[in-house]
Amino acid sequence: MMKRNGTGWLFASPYLLYAVIFFAIPLIWSMYLSFTDWNLISPVYYFKGFDNFIEAVKHPGVQAAFFVTFKFMAAFVPVVIVSSLAVALVIHGLPKFKGLFLIGFFLPYLASGVVSSLIVKGLLSHNSAFNVFLRKFGIEVDWLSTPLSALLVVAAIIAWKFTGYYALILTAGFEGINKDVYEAAAIDGVTPSQRFWKITLPLLYPALFTVLILSIGVSFGIFTEVYQLTGGGPNYATNTWQMEIFKQAFTNLSAGYASAVAIIASVVTFASILVIRKLLEMWGKRNGWV
Amino acid sequence: MVGSKKGLTFRYLIAFALLIVMVFPYLYMVMNSFADWTQVDKKVVPTEFTMRSYEWLFSGGEAGIARPWLKAFFNSVIVSTASTALMMVTGAMVAFALAKMNFKGRDFINNAVLFQMFFPAIILLIPTFLIIQNAGLYDTYTAMILPKAMSLWAVFMYTNFFRAIPDTFIEAAKLDGASNFQILYKIVMPMSKSITTVVFLFLFMERWTELLWDMIVVRSDGMLTLNVLLSQMFGPYGGYPGPMYAASVLLTVPIIILFLFFSKQFKEGMQFTLK
Repeated sequence: MMKRNGTGWLFASPYLLYAVIFFAIPLIWSMYLSFTDWNLISPVYYFKGFDNFIEAVKHPGVQAAFFVTFKFMAAFVPVVIVSSLAVALVIHGLPKFKGLFLIGFFLPYLASGVVSSLIVKGLLSHNSAFNVFLRKFGIEVDWLSTPLSALLVVAAIIAWKFTGYYALILTAGFEGINKDVYEAAAIDGVTPSQRFWKITLPLLYPALFTVLILSIGVSFGIFTEVYQLTGGGPNYATNTWQMEIFKQAFTNLSAGYASAVAIIASVVTFASILVIRKLLEMWGKRNGWV
Repeated sequence: MVGSKKGLTFRYLIAFALLIVMVFPYLYMVMNSFADWTQVDKKVVPTEFTMRSYEWLFSGGEAGIARPWLKAFFNSVIVSTASTALMMVTGAMVAFALAKMNFKGRDFINNAVLFQMFFPAIILLIPTFLIIQNAGLYDTYTAMILPKAMSLWAVFMYTNFFRAIPDTFIEAAKLDGASNFQILYKIVMPMSKSITTVVFLFLFMERWTELLWDMIVVRSDGMLTLNVLLSQMFGPYGGYPGPMYAASVLLTVPIIILFLFFSKQFKEGMQFTLK
């Protein structure tokens, strides 16, 4: 028995090492730093108590990060749900080439955020075909310098990336639905819209729930596209948590203050996801979907 | 749902149209990397083509703003390969312990993995950077590989998969005198090819396109990954969109080829993960 315990721990040892060095120690260090005014370089620093946290809550960048995350979610989640649902609806059960389509739709997921940002920057540049076309109708938009459109552009890039991946999950959901249910409904003279809302959606709910939770999680971790395209601007309109923490820690070198922001971000993220998850579960239960 | 033949044709047309819209950005990227420089970002479909963007890129660009693009590509290959390989080995090892071994503390480790997986990682960014810096690893490959030598998601995926493997296989091998390492390497892993493909593709893709971490732990020109170098060139190369698209192709095409190469196993593996 002793020996078996030993090999168990031996196999688990990579995790134990990793958990100590890259989780426990950083976690404690982060909390410690958040009470200091350390600037990442100087050997001397002082304790400030909760000053960093108070300062952070009052800071427009932090306040923006809080709201931008939810605004982003409000744009990204419905768009990605509708687009992935549309893809799944069209391709599920196709007798031929279904796999080929699924693979094709999955390709955007492989794009680096840097590359998709570059492409979008090109597509939206002043003399791009798209903007020249719009100018013919007198429409002139500086997409990345207008707060609302900048946010929507970033949301669209992320939705593009994840649509095929989520469609894969939803297609599997569709295919798990027993075909007999539809036949029975057809005999009962159910209309197509009733069929979607009363049969397909409830049976698809588990897959839809997964996609909702995944997409909400994604909303809290946006960095690359924002960093490349807007730097969090204009006027904090796209300032995500990661962007704010990166700027404070590695541009302003305020390691202590940035640690406090990171702690706030983690608590907000954790609590938000928990609450949204509970609400979704309650919603599903009330409709009798779970 | 599958209706008449006419309805089916209609669905194929819609599916194809949607697919064109979705892969259009990639087509746009490839076309612009070959487009004549007067046409880059000016036309939806360029009409004149040149290799100039690629020549420019591989010669490093112009004096003053010359950068080591090819070196960056190899840095990406080294870092992503090493990191992914480690994540897969550690992931399978830990998962094997969690799924197939009985030992004191197993449930504790299992819960710790799940807890850490759902813990917002942003809180760890600054101190992890400081650990790397204090260990004297700043500006090294190790700095990019070591903190990404383990993936909790990989542990989670492998644990679920290994649990579905009947214990009889393992018991039989034990009676034959096989060690745990031999059982994992010779029996369990060959049975897990499809899930291994899924785990490998997701991990490699994620590592290949990482920006934030690789950007803060590395500074010197010769150490940058291709993704970071491309990111840094947004401003300075702003007037040279053609080479930027060529660099994007260089960054994107390998990962797509890898994915297409394994697409059959990927589909099989996804079936399991989506159940």
